[in-house]
Amino acid sequence: MAQFALVIDLNTCVGCHACATNCKEWNTQAAFGPLSDFDPYGAHPEGVWYNRIMTYEMGEFPNTQVFHLPKSCLHCQDAPCVPVCPTGASYKREQDGIVLVNYDDCIGCKLCSWSCPYGCREYDEADKVMKKCTLCIDRIYDESLPPEHRKPACVLTCPARARFFGDIEDPESEVYKVIEERNGFVLFPDMGTNPGNHYLPRIETKINIEEFEKHILKPDNPLFLEVMKRHHVSNKGHVPEEKQVEEVV
Amino acid sequence: MHPPMSLIFFFLTAGTSIGLFIFMYAIEFLKLFGKGQGLPQEVILKLGVLELILIGLGAFGASFHLGHKLRAWKAIKRFRTSWLSREAVFSGAYGFTLLVYLVLNQVGANPFFEHLFGILTFVLGILSGFSTAMIYASNKFVLEWNSSITVIYYLLMYLMLGSTLMAYFSYLYNLPYLGVFIFLSFLFIALAFGFRLAFNIRQFYLKRPTLNEALNLPHNRPMRVIDTGSTTDNYCTEEFFYRRGKEMLSTVIPLAYLITFLVPLFLVLYAWITGTANHWIFGLTYLFVLFGSALERWSFFVEGNHVQNLFYGLYPEQGYTLRKGFMERKETKISLYG
Ligand code: SF4
Ligand code: SF4
Ligand code: SF4
Repeated sequence: MAQFALVIDLNTCVGCHACATNCKEWNTQAAFGPLSDFDPYGAHPEGVWYNRIMTYEMGEFPNTQVFHLPKSCLHCQDAPCVPVCPTGASYKREQDGIVLVNYDDCIGCKLCSWSCPYGCREYDEADKVMKKCTLCIDRIYDESLPPEHRKPACVLTCPARARFFGDIEDPESEVYKVIEERNGFVLFPDMGTNPGNHYLPRIETKINIEEFEKHILKPDNPLFLEVMKRHHVSNKGHVPEEKQVEEVV
Repeated sequence: MHPPMSLIFFFLTAGTSIGLFIFMYAIEFLKLFGKGQGLPQEVILKLGVLELILIGLGAFGASFHLGHKLRAWKAIKRFRTSWLSREAVFSGAYGFTLLVYLVLNQVGANPFFEHLFGILTFVLGILSGFSTAMIYASNKFVLEWNSSITVIYYLLMYLMLGSTLMAYFSYLYNLPYLGVFIFLSFLFIALAFGFRLAFNIRQFYLKRPTLNEALNLPHNRPMRVIDTGSTTDNYCTEEFFYRRGKEMLSTVIPLAYLITFLVPLFLVLYAWITGTANHWIFGLTYLFVLFGSALERWSFFVEGNHVQNLFYGLYPEQGYTLRKGFMERKETKISLYG
């Protein structure tokens, strides 16, 4: 069975939020819009987004790696959000595995959002229905668009080309190959949802911290003061004297 | 989780209605076998009408939880997979058969049909409570709820609401069942309390997932949330993490225990041991149980931690305690030297 999905390369994603912004832009004007905003110019601008980008840090300073995680509905193959819907408004399409919400049937009970372990559904207070990523179903099948444009808005807009789209069950597809070659993984495998969307792992950059410190801990380095300040805070004032001198010199 | 007031209201009204009917009909049922003397017809009418009003109010109140109230009927469509759908069907059917039972009882219809509907209402009431409890208990992404304890004490609280109110009516209408319902009130309050405690104790032993597991990244490395991508709260953080509630939880839970279980237990025991019987003691017992249950439900929701909170750094750490401070984020440790 076909399973359309996104594959996102965590190695190249720069966390620019272009995919989220373009997702909102496309989906607000197209068949599934609008995605409401509340208090857009006020102190608490909240709104409905299909796609959100989170940033995480792994490891202990200074050996850390920062990466960005764009997260939209993962179009789970065993989507737990579907069977709990009392009206059948949430459904998974046979032909391409896309999980959708029928806005005409949704009663806004929020139970599907309670049953998504990823937090990928958002309730639209203005329309009183549940909304989520549609995998741009209104773009990918639109025959009035040139074939190279029949892709999700977020994929087309990504300036880092971190996003791929296709059928992850089709061995001929780009997404299938890239998952195979680069060890694509899914979020929260223990939840038994079998997500469609995959992520490509970061290739860890190795740097020699000692070399790095030698360069950075020089008084003429503009970062010197900042580093020393953080260092001072973390050691609560107890800086090992000799070591500091040794490194600074 | 954010506590929805309409669902708390539904618990109180549906719980009282179903609990009361269970005991009211049990008396009628036992009469069939020559045990006890049944209830006077006008008492059945009064209690029955009260039960009808309560379940109606409950359904009306619960509809405020829905975005589209007028489409609520569509909730019957997925009976085969959705506990919410089953709840809607069973509670609707409970209200309907209750009405039929009352009519049959009042017009003195054929006892076969009367009891057929009585038994149906009895079973549907329990199924309705069971389905509501299963909406929570079957959610494997809120580990606190995902247990049979949730269902058991949910149903016990229905029985607690019913038996305490029945004790009050036994006194009010001078029924020969006061002693029985004093005993049953004591029993169900104590049992509900026991299971509620078990529900809380279980939370200390839950094996909680970590952010590393959520992100499917190496387990041996510390992982931190740096940015959640939005400048304010959003639907996910508000629905699944009720900040203010979390802060109040350590005060509300003991209070809920006190009002729902301890004070009523004391009142019932006092009435039992001293043989005191008056409006106040039974009325107060029910009121305490009722208002306490509202607090208990509130805590139940706030206690639930949805695993999606991991992505926002709002999930409790392994072995968290219910006390303050369990939600604090770890400070980034900065150390240049070993
Ligand atoms: S990511 Fe969430 S909303 Fe999307 S299919 Fe999976 S469970 Fe459903
Ligand atoms: S909020 Fe809508 S889509 Fe979600 S479970 Fe309820 S009715 Fe179904
Ligand atoms: S596939 Fe479409 S709807 Fe989904 S995140 Fe991308 S742009 Fe948004």
